[in-house]
Amino acid sequence: FQYARVGADVTMKCGSMDWDAAVTWTVNGTDIDESHLNGSYLILKNVDLMQSGQYFCYEGSSWHLKYQTYLRVGTPPKEPVLMCRSNNYPKGFYCSWHLPTPTYIPNIFNISVIHGTKEMVCEKDAVLKNRCHIRYLQLFSTVKYKVTLTVTNALGKNFTTLTFDEFAIVKPDPPESVVAKPVPNNPRRLEVSWQNPSSWPDPESFPLKFFLRYRPLILDQWQHVELSDGTSHTITDAYAGKEYIIQVAAKDNDIGTWSDWSVAVHATPWTEEPKHLTTEAQITETTSASTSSFMAPPTTKICDKGAMVGSGAVAVCWTAGLVVAAYSVLFI
Amino acid sequence: GDSWGIFTFLCAALCNLPALPALNCSEELGAGQSIQQTYDLTRYLEHQLRTLAGTYLNYLGPPFNEPDFNPPRLARAERVPSATVDLDLWRGLTDNARLAANYRAYSRLLCYLRVLDGQVGTAELRHRLAHFCASLQGLVLSIGGVMSSLGYPLPAGPPAPSGAPPASNDFLKKMDDFWLLKELQTWLWRSAKDFNRLKKRVPPAVVTLRLEARGF
Repeated sequence: FQYARVGADVTMKCGSMDWDAAVTWTVNGTDIDESHLNGSYLILKNVDLMQSGQYFCYEGSSWHLKYQTYLRVGTPPKEPVLMCRSNNYPKGFYCSWHLPTPTYIPNIFNISVIHGTKEMVCEKDAVLKNRCHIRYLQLFSTVKYKVTLTVTNALGKNFTTLTFDEFAIVKPDPPESVVAKPVPNNPRRLEVSWQNPSSWPDPESFPLKFFLRYRPLILDQWQHVELSDGTSHTITDAYAGKEYIIQVAAKDNDIGTWSDWSVAVHATPWTEEPKHLTTEAQITETTSASTSSFMAPPTTKICDKGAMVGSGAVAVCWTAGLVVAAYSVLFI
Repeated sequence: GDSWGIFTFLCAALCNLPALPALNCSEELGAGQSIQQTYDLTRYLEHQLRTLAGTYLNYLGPPFNEPDFNPPRLARAERVPSATVDLDLWRGLTDNARLAANYRAYSRLLCYLRVLDGQVGTAELRHRLAHFCASLQGLVLSIGGVMSSLGYPLPAGPPAPSGAPPASNDFLKKMDDFWLLKELQTWLWRSAKDFNRLKKRVPPAVVTLRLEARGF
């Protein structure tokens, strides 16, 4: 193996051959043009990634293999990105890292965690190569944790450090199994329920509080509710007939930061079924020009609760002008 | 020499003041103190402390007011019982032990803060400290009230300052102040968790505590 920095000049000697010997160099099976040779030396100027490969040097006439090497072109590591987080307080925390730009050659990462004067062991994650876990030995510590990550490769090394209090890095995972359901006979309600993230080990002693946000799909403005306990909430001010998008976030009651938002769920409040399947509808001449998916309801039902308005029905009802006016604002 | 004597005297004098268990006000308290209110008090104090600590650390000046300041703990005898505790030990604390640990810690912290109050330079800082001490005393009383209502004996008043002589130079004195604030902050974080646990285990007695006029 041989490593070279991008942009550097590489000189390869053909083993023990004299400078003036006649040789042929190949890279990945292809002969190299003589213009790159200085005697029997191979000169590669300003190497780039494409020049990585297997290089062979053969004696001119006998075609004996005199030298071979694998050249890997890469870069020394830039300052790594390190993040530490406790999503399972009070059990411990994990640290995760990566390089901002690839080096194209193998890198070795070394992490050290120091708490006061003690060096702590960071156990490698079973699955993820760039993550390790620390278990808290003590709770409510006044001393900060100092985590140093060093990255080394054949062309150089770099490092970064994080210093933090036990409490500062607490951030739960988002709530799980978020479910939103309409409430029968309540056109403005949606019942939302969720569960504590499964990674949070002790919600009894370390309760979570929650933040709910919801909006109809057609609007950009979110509405927010903060809930200090319980894992369910009923939205009572939903616009009838509108599809909603709902998300929930969690936070330890007292310390740390909010989790990311949960997976979004969609729900539409309950709407009264239009009674269009009666024979009355077939007899009357009031065929609406509506192209909505359900058949035109009998005239008496057109004005109910704006159920048809959301689908852009053409029919306009004078007696329910107020309702229409309210909803028409949404279409501006 | 002299400063040690003064320090001991000050602390002894000031520390006997808050040793008023809820027993004195038992007629007014009635059935007992709500744990929820004590919890709320710790959150309020934590909020107050953030402002106070910011101001005080700026008063101490660098490096104490730098966010990354992470000094080693000097080998001086710790004056205040530390909030730091082994996880399983903390989980296994009886309600009595849990409350007593809080009561003892805040009694002593209050004592040290009062000594600080007499020494700080600016009027603003004195005012903030005085306000904070008043609130902290309310917390001590509140915890005492909970203990009494549950039939637990109150721990003995804070003992005379043990072991450690006062700091020999200005920098060490500032270090002491820095760690005092750190311990206070950590205890307030811990208390929120302590009282969360107590809330679940002890049904709260729903009585409004009419606190004495002291500082409120």
